[in-house]
Amino acid sequence: MVLEVKKACKNFGGLAAVSDVSFSIRKGEIFGLIGPNGAGKTTMFNLITSMFPLTTGEIVFQGDNINGLKPNKITEKGICRTFQNIRLFPLMSAEENVMVGVHSRSKSGVLSSVFRTKSQRKEEAAIRKRAKELLEFVGLDDFADITAENLAYGQQRRLEIARAMASDPQLLLLDEPAAGMNETETSELFQLIKKIQTLGITVLLIEHDMPLVMNLCDRIAVLNFGKKIAEGTPEEIQNNPAVIEAYLGSEEEEEYA
Amino acid sequence: MLAELFNPYYLQIGCFILINIILALSVYVPLSTGQLSLASAGFMGLGAYTSALLTIHFDLPILVGIIAGTLIAGLIGILIGLPTLRLQGVYLAIVTLGFGEVIRVVFINWESLTNGSVGISGIPHIGREILKTLKGFGFNPQSMGLQNNQFIFLSIFVLLLIIAIFLVWFFRRQHYSRVGRAYAAIKLDEKAAESMGINITYYKVLAFTQGALLAGFAGSIYAHVLAYISPADFSYHRAVDILVFTVFGGSEVIWGPVFGAIFLTFLPEVLRFISEYRYMIYGLMIIILMAVRPQGLIDVNIINWIKSKKRSKRGVTHGSGSEKSM
Ligand SMILES: Nc1ncnc2c1ncn2[C@@H]1O[C@H](COP(=O)(O)OP(=O)(O)OP(=O)(O)O)[C@@H](O)[C@H]1O
Ligand SMILES: [Mg+2]
Repeated sequence: MVLEVKKACKNFGGLAAVSDVSFSIRKGEIFGLIGPNGAGKTTMFNLITSMFPLTTGEIVFQGDNINGLKPNKITEKGICRTFQNIRLFPLMSAEENVMVGVHSRSKSGVLSSVFRTKSQRKEEAAIRKRAKELLEFVGLDDFADITAENLAYGQQRRLEIARAMASDPQLLLLDEPAAGMNETETSELFQLIKKIQTLGITVLLIEHDMPLVMNLCDRIAVLNFGKKIAEGTPEEIQNNPAVIEAYLGSEEEEEYA
Repeated sequence: MLAELFNPYYLQIGCFILINIILALSVYVPLSTGQLSLASAGFMGLGAYTSALLTIHFDLPILVGIIAGTLIAGLIGILIGLPTLRLQGVYLAIVTLGFGEVIRVVFINWESLTNGSVGISGIPHIGREILKTLKGFGFNPQSMGLQNNQFIFLSIFVLLLIIAIFLVWFFRRQHYSRVGRAYAAIKLDEKAAESMGINITYYKVLAFTQGALLAGFAGSIYAHVLAYISPADFSYHRAVDILVFTVFGGSEVIWGPVFGAIFLTFLPEVLRFISEYRYMIYGLMIIILMAVRPQGLIDVNIINWIKSKKRSKRGVTHGSGSEKSM
């Protein structure tokens, strides 16, 4: 198991955003996390990456309990993420964004940076090379010098994936990567995530685009109102009455809203 | 001819410009991680008093005093930087301004050590020390056609110029490196930076401490250039002045604070002939600038424009060079 979430709970005041959720992700699989709006999916990501502390429960990554580690330590351990509401460094170029992503895998400090020691220059060249490779990997090699905020929406989403991959994660968390993408972009994204899987990286995917999730994921967990209501293969999930009800229920609510 | 050019009055303004550049950098560096600090006047005072007292009471060489003053300011910088990490924007500004005032009040009230609001005079003067040392080697300024007075200020000016150039070089190089990228990432989005593996505590305290070291250093130099300091030199007026250098010049690129310090130190001198109105003009200019160019006079676009002009003049085009403005 790469990741084991054990009885995770998160309360915001009186609201139980995540309650008693457990699931495990196997090495190399694409694991989907779905559920209606407000189900607690993003909160789950924030718990795994230590953006919020757990109220109770435990998260184990590659055998180590990672509760209470700082987010940057989690990244060092090998978990990196993208954000639902894109959080690139807007004034940096695409390349610089990815170069920041390499931070945890490099080590030059102030003095070696200022005096440009041999090892620093080597490291800097390697960082730049890695950034170029990753931009190519996500299909943004022609946009290396473009400021992140000037990229198209779909490109920004792919840049976030490249930036997260720059930390050489074992586990990549993608929060609605297809949001705002058109059909062509979504199918390109499909290929991209498949390609990431072939690199041996485990993927945890939050996504509302059902065809994408069903085609891509090996296994899926479904959250509703903070609770896990189902887990299984795409087929099992599609035929699960509780899941169908959760989705239909929420759609009805939206119609009345 | 040489003697006319090296008018001590101009040289002294030159020295103040260079000290102000260092002070402006002391705001720019923490600000490059998004920390708006008004503590520079306080750290400057710490550096100045430390170095002045050590050189007067213990007869230590000025160099030792300056190093001690710089390090003390840096140390206090770490102590202030850690607990204020969580404070954002204007809240940090208020707390750091308060810190500066606390330091000033300590200087006023610890009379047995600091001589209270009267201040400390008779601080060893860098220029005179340099002259004394050189005279020991048989050097005489007259051989260069300079009077002692001119030589004293010329030597300080040259020394400070070298230091200022070194510091600009230092922080420019830092900016185009892993550390600089971490700073910029924190400034742009702290949470995202942390998620990308950047230890924001470390880098924010580092930047804050670098600012404190710079201000402490500038303060130590200041004490040994004026030979007289008092708590009023490090009041909140000074804190605001220093901040304005960076805000006026711009905080996106290092040339902003450098330009701001040069321009705003010169301006009151140039406007001396309309003495009563000069601070009104100064204030008016800042208000207009903030309304028209809130990012400051010098920004990334201007730098890129200057670079492209230089490039087209030379008739060469660089590929994507290793140095780009962030
Ligand atoms: N920082 C926070 N403080 C208080 N409440 C929060 C916070 N973050 C999330 N919540 C609440 O927790 C619940 C779960 O939110 P979350 O963002 O995890 O949902 P989600 O499943 O990602 O939904 P969506 O599909 O809309 O992104 C929501 O009711 C939300 O309002
Ligand atoms: Mg969400």
